Amino acid sequence: MSQFSIRLLCFTFGLLLIACGQQKVPSGLVYCSEGNPETFNPQLVTSGTTIDATSHQIYSRLVDYDAQTGQIVPALASDWQMAADGLSYRFNLRSDVRFHHSPHFIPTRVFNADDVLFSFNRVIQENHPYHFVSRTGYPFFQSIGLDKLVRQIEKVNDYQVIFHLNHADASFLANLATDFAIIQSQEYANQLWKQKTPERIDSDAIGTGPYQLAKYVKNDHIRYRRHEFYWGPAPKTDVLVFDITPRSSRRLAKLITGDCDVSALPKAGELPVINEHAELRLEQQAGLNVAYWAFNTQKPPLDDVRVRRALSHAVDRQNILRAVYQDTAVEATGILPPASWAYQPNDSLSDYNPAKAEALLKEAGIKDLAIDLWAMPVARTYNPNALKTAELIQADLANIGVHVNIVSYDWSVFTQKLNQSDYDSVLIGWNADNSDPDNFFTPTLSCDSVISGSNRSKWCHPDFDQILRLATATMDRSERTELYQQAEAILAEDVPLISLAHAKRLALKRTDVTETRVTPFGGISFADLKPMKVLR
Amino acid sequence: MPQIKIYQEDEIPSPSLRIWQVFSSNPFAVLGLWLVICLLLLTVFGPLIAPYTAEQQDTQALLLPPSWDPAGTVEHFLGTDDLGRDIFSRLLHGAHLTFGMALWIVISALSVGLVIGSLSGMMKGIKSSILGHLLDALLSIPSMLLAILVVAVMGPGLENIFWAVGLALTPQFVRSTHLAVREESQKEYVKAAILDGANPLQIFWFVIMPNVWETIIVQTTLAISVAILDIAALGFLGLGAQAPSPEWGAMIAQGLDNLLTAPWTVTIPGATILVSVLSINLVGDGLRTALAPR
Amino acid sequence: MGKYLLRRLNLFVATSLVLAGVLFYTTGLFPVDRITALSGIVSPSPAQVEQVTELYALNKNTPLQFSAFLQQRLSGDLGISITSQQSVSQELMARLPATLELANVAALLALVFGVPIGILASLTQHRLTQHAIMAMTLTGYSIPVFWLGLTLSLWFGVHLGWLPISGQINLLYEIEPVTGFILFDTWVSDSEYRMAAFLDALQHMILPSITLAVLPFTVVVRITRSAMLNIMNQTFIRAAEARGLSTAKIVLRHALPNALIPVLKHLGIMLGPFASYSIIVEVIFSWPGVGSWLVSGIYQRDYTVIQGGILVVALLIMLSSILIEIVHTATNPISRKELYASN
Repeated sequence: MSQFSIRLLCFTFGLLLIACGQQKVPSGLVYCSEGNPETFNPQLVTSGTTIDATSHQIYSRLVDYDAQTGQIVPALASDWQMAADGLSYRFNLRSDVRFHHSPHFIPTRVFNADDVLFSFNRVIQENHPYHFVSRTGYPFFQSIGLDKLVRQIEKVNDYQVIFHLNHADASFLANLATDFAIIQSQEYANQLWKQKTPERIDSDAIGTGPYQLAKYVKNDHIRYRRHEFYWGPAPKTDVLVFDITPRSSRRLAKLITGDCDVSALPKAGELPVINEHAELRLEQQAGLNVAYWAFNTQKPPLDDVRVRRALSHAVDRQNILRAVYQDTAVEATGILPPASWAYQPNDSLSDYNPAKAEALLKEAGIKDLAIDLWAMPVARTYNPNALKTAELIQADLANIGVHVNIVSYDWSVFTQKLNQSDYDSVLIGWNADNSDPDNFFTPTLSCDSVISGSNRSKWCHPDFDQILRLATATMDRSERTELYQQAEAILAEDVPLISLAHAKRLALKRTDVTETRVTPFGGISFADLKPMKVLR
Repeated sequence: MPQIKIYQEDEIPSPSLRIWQVFSSNPFAVLGLWLVICLLLLTVFGPLIAPYTAEQQDTQALLLPPSWDPAGTVEHFLGTDDLGRDIFSRLLHGAHLTFGMALWIVISALSVGLVIGSLSGMMKGIKSSILGHLLDALLSIPSMLLAILVVAVMGPGLENIFWAVGLALTPQFVRSTHLAVREESQKEYVKAAILDGANPLQIFWFVIMPNVWETIIVQTTLAISVAILDIAALGFLGLGAQAPSPEWGAMIAQGLDNLLTAPWTVTIPGATILVSVLSINLVGDGLRTALAPR
Repeated sequence: MGKYLLRRLNLFVATSLVLAGVLFYTTGLFPVDRITALSGIVSPSPAQVEQVTELYALNKNTPLQFSAFLQQRLSGDLGISITSQQSVSQELMARLPATLELANVAALLALVFGVPIGILASLTQHRLTQHAIMAMTLTGYSIPVFWLGLTLSLWFGVHLGWLPISGQINLLYEIEPVTGFILFDTWVSDSEYRMAAFLDALQHMILPSITLAVLPFTVVVRITRSAMLNIMNQTFIRAAEARGLSTAKIVLRHALPNALIPVLKHLGIMLGPFASYSIIVEVIFSWPGVGSWLVSGIYQRDYTVIQGGILVVALLIMLSSILIEIVHTATNPISRKELYASN
């Protein structure tokens, strides 16, 4: 807002002349986010939008990832020990952690082992009263098979718990550090149970995170207030607002006009604008993610591997990289991104060859193929513009005589409809929750994940599953790398999905906001963010 | 031997010629008429003269500015969009969708409205009242709401918009026809015709209708401009024509993502809509002045 | 007059019934379960199924179902939203004030600027001014409102950086909704940022209200002009001129009140298009009103929201157009003679 127009306003509304001095503006930070969260409990989803809005704002985990070093660091657990056989983990808990106060709930005690037991038992025990309060299940935990992994969680005393496992798992700690493994309050759950409104635990969220939920207006905004008794370094802003703005050009416009301080997921094509505006800055980091086109391998004709191979030869990935990502991504050669330690260049992936594609289709005896292609309506880290990608694929496949029908809904119903419907194929992707390579395979392609729904190909391959199990049973990195390459080879052979690209993580912010941090994985965190502006 | 002019005018101009004389004396209206004729030609022949197809993607030329910009090229006269599609070609292909569809909708709404309106106008009493007000409930639902309802039932798509916009326009035709017929039928010359023993059909067609057409023509031009704006608005909201379609409103919606980097993807289709609607309104305005009783 | 009012009321009830019937019929056409379409409960439990079946008389014949549907809707129960699982009527009430506020400000702008310009257009002998005003109104009438809104926000928001282009107020201000009218709420709020918040809300109001005001403005100008031209030729004006009254007095005292009557009538006719425009403007400027709520409802295929929203908005429009008509009749002696005519 320029001084000129302020003066103009003062002139127009002469009666307000006295008031038009320097105005006091509340301190706070506005983040332009891309969509409505489906719930306020990240345990129940795999959608990044929900994770951004909840995981690091409202909740804390037992252990955390240090984004810089990639090491696992203490959070609610002050330290931990793994037994020599890898079958049990003992966690010592902090004793100074307090839950949020809200109009509905005033905690009478600090965080303790009961809360840990509640939060995890809810997920893994089917007879837990809160287990079926979630209608959607617990997709991440089901896909990694946590209920089969954890035999029992033992409370030693108020500030010590032991996780007993059925078999050793190299990715266990990494999975506890993911955005999904948050801690809820058992006391709050008990109170809601008595009030017969258990479902409110996931909408009127109570956690131990740096901000507490103040108000949520669907399609409009989410307001958070600082948690006065946060156990970590106190957040620097009083108020945090998520301004829900699905359109990326609108987010950029809001950033320019100063209605937002930080904005999510800019489109690659908008980056030139940033150079024209001195007050904007782009933060980027190589991301742990992959965008892919998943085929429903249970539905004819895509259950035929020749058809899937044909389609993979028909898509010009270079073209997509150029038009959609514009140098903010690298071409995918498999599902693992170059930023992962288990990555090895892979040339077994199929090349762009429409003639071969047509030959394969002929061999499979398919004529006049028409498939539905579901495309996300919003930008995701791994794919800033799925609709545009879909249009490019549509044009590519038209060349080999395949008709593509693009299907899209508003984001908050897209995944819901996707889970319920018998789709042909979908453009989606995966954003890693931790730096463990297993996170790319087990949650998205294992047989367990078919049931939980996060396996968008509905693809179950016993040999592939066996390799993944072997890979998590050992701690040796070179051995694991070897196994993951075998897994990649199976993917290239059977084509349940076509990997498209690994995108950089991007965020835009105004230069008057200090200390942003874009992490390669997981949701965004505002605990350290500080806007410098006080006056406008 | 040259004829000697005795009278000031050779002949007394017929009513339609008089209308044309008044109309053509207004340069803006004539300009509008020429533009409308151009639009009609483009609607029919646009796809033939377009240099590219509507969906042809040139990935080497993404977001190319229009040719008058230093960075633009002549191959893509009005620039390209974010998939490298030629905007000029898309506009030509889209004329048939936006303008052609509007014409089609108005013709359908006009025929239905004319029938119901004249029936109710000729009838008397409660039957007339019911018919005349039958669609008034629809008239009170804004066309956007009607479109939302139609999309909720039938899903988005240009074909479904036909129903939404058509349903919104029909009651206006019913109403104006009803009122015009009613007003005329109370006049004395109609009574004279009844006394002459004309049957109701003759009265309607030979006596009343010639005097009602004028109102209806003005109403029609208005309706065409409203229909274009509605189709484009629905395309813009994503309820009408869907993504790859070169319908003008949908083009604006697709250009929206590049509003800041490539404003021409929005301004050019927008200006096209403005010019089309403006030319129709110019014609409508000219007609109204020409038809106004003096 | 009483008989006339009764007839208007009758018409209102009849059209409302037709509207409700149309909505009732379309609920059956929505591609979801009928129980979900009516109540908004997704995957209902057997007990809920029974309750909804009971409430909407789903196991009875169609007329009874319709009357049950009417009863529910008239009692203010619009079901719950399919996506948010909150009461539709509550969501609607939270958003209605924002829409009304924007519409009223825009209508006010249109009248305040439209009437004087219309008078000017009718009185001026200067051909250029006449042509300029008519060209302006014709363009305003032809311009696609979404394009206008985008262009304005691009220039005044992004390039010049003068005005905010989205929302009602900067979200950092936490204003307790008292009436829901943001200008009023910020004015009366006891927050320490009261003044700043009020000015911020005012700035947010400028672009959307101007965009929305363009259509009614052009109509007001044209109607005022033609009504004035018409009236200035009437004998009572000439009589006033003959009595030697000043032009200002003739215009303000004698001509204008009569010229405003057709303006009023056209305002009533324009309510429908005006509502359509306000839906688009709300979407473009992310205005948290009923329009943007309805549009996101259709994107999310939230059938209860669509149904409830359409019902309430259409009823409101019907009601206000009838009110305008009544006011028009009451203030206009000429149209009163038609009160007792048939039709």
